[in-house]
Amino acid sequence: MTVQSRFDDSSSGGFSALTGSIEQVRHACALGALASVIAIEGAIPITHCGPGCASKQFQALSSISGYQGGEFHVPSTNIGNKEVIFGGADRLDELIASTLKVMEAELYVVQSGCVPGLVGDDVANVVQAYQRRGVPIVFAETLGYRGTNFTGHETVVRAILDQYVAKLPGPPPETRKGLVNVWSLLPYQNPFWRGDLAEIRRILEGVGLEVNILFGPASEGLSEWRAIPSAELNIVLSPWLGLSIARRLEAAYGQRVLHEPAIPIGARATGAFLKRVGEAVGADLGRVESFIRQEERTYYHYLRDFAQFYAGCTSQYRLPSEVNIVGESAYVLAIAKFFVGDLGVNPGAFVLTENPPESERAAITDAFRDLAPGVDGEPVFEPDGHRARKLIAGRPRIGEYPIVFGSTWEGAVAGEIGAPLVEISYPATDEVVLARSYVGYRGALQLLERTYTTVVRQSTEENPEAALS
Amino acid sequence: MAINLRTPQAETRDQRLGTITQWEGSAEELARDSAFTYGCGRDCGPGGRRLCELSSPYSQASMCAEQIAVTNATIIKDTVVIQHAPIGCASSQSFTSRYSRDLAARRGWKPEDPKTICTNLSERDMVFGGVDRLADAIREAFERHNPRVIFVATSCATGVIGDDVDGTARQLEEEIGIPVVPLHCEGFKSRHWSSGWDVIEHGILRRLVPNRLNEKRDDLLNVIHLGGPDVFSPLVNPLGLKVNLVMGGSSLERLADLSTAAATVTMCFVLSYLANGLEQEYGVPEIRAPLPYGLDATDNWLRDIARVTKREDRVEAVIASERVRIEPELERLRKALKGRRGFVAAGAAFAHGLIADLRELGVTVDDAFSFHHDPSTDSRDPQQDSLGHLVQETGDIAHFTVSPDQHFQAHAALKRANPNFVLCRHSGSMAILAGRMGIPVLPIFYSNDGLGYEGLLTIGRAILRVLPRRRFYQDVAAHSRFPYQQWWLDETNPYALAADDAA
Repeated sequence: MTVQSRFDDSSSGGFSALTGSIEQVRHACALGALASVIAIEGAIPITHCGPGCASKQFQALSSISGYQGGEFHVPSTNIGNKEVIFGGADRLDELIASTLKVMEAELYVVQSGCVPGLVGDDVANVVQAYQRRGVPIVFAETLGYRGTNFTGHETVVRAILDQYVAKLPGPPPETRKGLVNVWSLLPYQNPFWRGDLAEIRRILEGVGLEVNILFGPASEGLSEWRAIPSAELNIVLSPWLGLSIARRLEAAYGQRVLHEPAIPIGARATGAFLKRVGEAVGADLGRVESFIRQEERTYYHYLRDFAQFYAGCTSQYRLPSEVNIVGESAYVLAIAKFFVGDLGVNPGAFVLTENPPESERAAITDAFRDLAPGVDGEPVFEPDGHRARKLIAGRPRIGEYPIVFGSTWEGAVAGEIGAPLVEISYPATDEVVLARSYVGYRGALQLLERTYTTVVRQSTEENPEAALS
Repeated sequence: MAINLRTPQAETRDQRLGTITQWEGSAEELARDSAFTYGCGRDCGPGGRRLCELSSPYSQASMCAEQIAVTNATIIKDTVVIQHAPIGCASSQSFTSRYSRDLAARRGWKPEDPKTICTNLSERDMVFGGVDRLADAIREAFERHNPRVIFVATSCATGVIGDDVDGTARQLEEEIGIPVVPLHCEGFKSRHWSSGWDVIEHGILRRLVPNRLNEKRDDLLNVIHLGGPDVFSPLVNPLGLKVNLVMGGSSLERLADLSTAAATVTMCFVLSYLANGLEQEYGVPEIRAPLPYGLDATDNWLRDIARVTKREDRVEAVIASERVRIEPELERLRKALKGRRGFVAAGAAFAHGLIADLRELGVTVDDAFSFHHDPSTDSRDPQQDSLGHLVQETGDIAHFTVSPDQHFQAHAALKRANPNFVLCRHSGSMAILAGRMGIPVLPIFYSNDGLGYEGLLTIGRAILRVLPRRRFYQDVAAHSRFPYQQWWLDETNPYALAADDAA
């Protein structure tokens, strides 16, 4: 019924487990991984799907959530009756040919959606004809019913690695000492990915590494992708996304893998992370420590000053004592570790919404152990908003002041339990995000600013008289 | 030609109206040829030709009917919409989450999350069918939210695999005892997303408008709009008419009142499927006078409403007082906008209306971009030939491009027009494209903004607010580029590629 890509041996985390109906949707379909292509400077997706598919995925991820913007002028076959009945391979061929005539890119990524999968278009065959002519073009089968934009992202990345990076002419790549590839947040899905990837790049460069950050404004674009085989280490900075890619690169190029499930937020986690990275690549430990020292000097200066607010010297705001988080596992884990581990807030409900592959779930749950010494979090895999709300609202609380980190959808439950809401996950429609980051050293400070500004504003709104007096 | 309400599936506007999405030429030519194709309504002399659609080998992603149908079902209160689809179709929920709350604020409703559930179909469902999942989702929706109506929207995937959505809906309707209304809105079935309006209006007409002819009210005017604040009551209340505002967010009660009204007006003929159906099924007359964009058109529109609802004695006073009221501000705006060149991009009749507004404000409009073109309307009444009316009353538009929101074509059209500002529908690629080309842009989110006397002021003031932003846009334009080949960046014919292909 569906055409398997000839390039694709599907050794990835695989097809995500299905969960039945979903209300308040928090991710896109596999085709939505076109956002990852758009996030690579110099690459353009060519989509073979219905007329609304590609724009709907991208507008949802980029336009509304965080108002991230992003260029959208994506070629699409806009499948109609004719292609459904007679097949759409010829139309795709025509579209690719005209795309090459009109558009200018270093790499084209053909992505197929539901309909070509169902009617059995041989997309791989169409694309291969262009590859044989030396056109930099790859095919990723991102059928909407086969996965999410997370699994679609891995499919797209594998397609680029196998059909573009591995096929580059020239001598076999030589390993460059100190060069690392980073596989972390999913572009556009996480509203803060641009700033976060920039901060991750900054701290890795700070300890003397060269970094292929691969996506977004902090990346050099496709030249970084071409340098992927030369790296000595793949850092997977996420609970599961990117792991299958790193394992694949390990098999293909003998590169090592450092899996760090939690993206570090704050000095404690970031310093430890940098030391582990330094060890893994045999970096100059003196340089690592001196960078950490320098960053900590600034970080703790701010934290010391923030301690006055946190001690309650200036106000009687209800500082949150219980942290509830709803979103993709990468951010839920990172934020949980920071607030429980560094701020001394108690763990609340942790709802992981992206429907990760079954094979990875036990490891993701394990990563929530010891958020602080002896304090475990208990994450729940739940993509449905209605049930997520019940998990948070129904949680027994005695004497706690809860705070919610989540998406716009969490507005209702935050109101229900009287908690401030900080939007950190898709869809975040009450945040305008440009370069803001919530990870590393600098991001942690911005996360504190946003969090406690929200706390103060909510207290002020709830007690207008007190604010006036 | 009657619309067919016997089948659950609305006939697409491609089939009913001969809707096209790709065309290039002057507005006069398009109006003339449209009349030829679908029966001469007005002064089309001999020599017209069949309306030939262009075909571009290159195309970019745009929008589908499903999004229109689902969004507008979602904002009907006390309902749940089931998106019977793989998860990607439900990505638009991020938009409706914002839209629902924003709309609630403008209409004074309690803000609520939209209630939309996706059946999240998988590969297994593609093989074995998804109707069991659909049945479960309908039951779940009923238990969770206790809705009064459940809509079921189809998708490309369910259309291809042939799920029996109608059968499942009927079965579940018996089981749970509330209407379960299928919306057949597979994206591939129509060349244009505006068919989604017909789909939701078809569903409303078939299931949510009871026959209440014995409760006729001679003071109730149905107003079918795209969404946003009620700008209609101030216009027609002085005639002693009450407004029954539907679509663009309504309650089931308002829909149930539709058959009792004295008449129906549509703020855009693209939405007139419902008005047409109400006339056909319940004898509620549709006001077909040209839409109220510009002073004269608004006068005549009010006169036609007064005529149909038998309030002619009051209408001239209302017109006179409104004209006097807006005159000083209108003059100020005309002075401020004098000599400016505007570019309009919107869908069919809505675009024609915005052009009329700009011309009334003294703005020069020689270039426009329409997301589709309807050569006819369901009523076949030549009064509803909004393009012909525009050309006749205000003159030709030299460059009239029909394109389903294609970024590359819009780039060429804007380069050719080089306007002082762009006035466009909010969604899609036009607003950001204009900005990125250094052109100030006014996107219309709530499409009632340009209507009637007050609409002229609303639009005029809004244009003056965005003109100074040129400084920002030009800075951005100077520091970024589009990934088109240089020859296309220089191109000023939106259909150069189609011509190339034909040659």
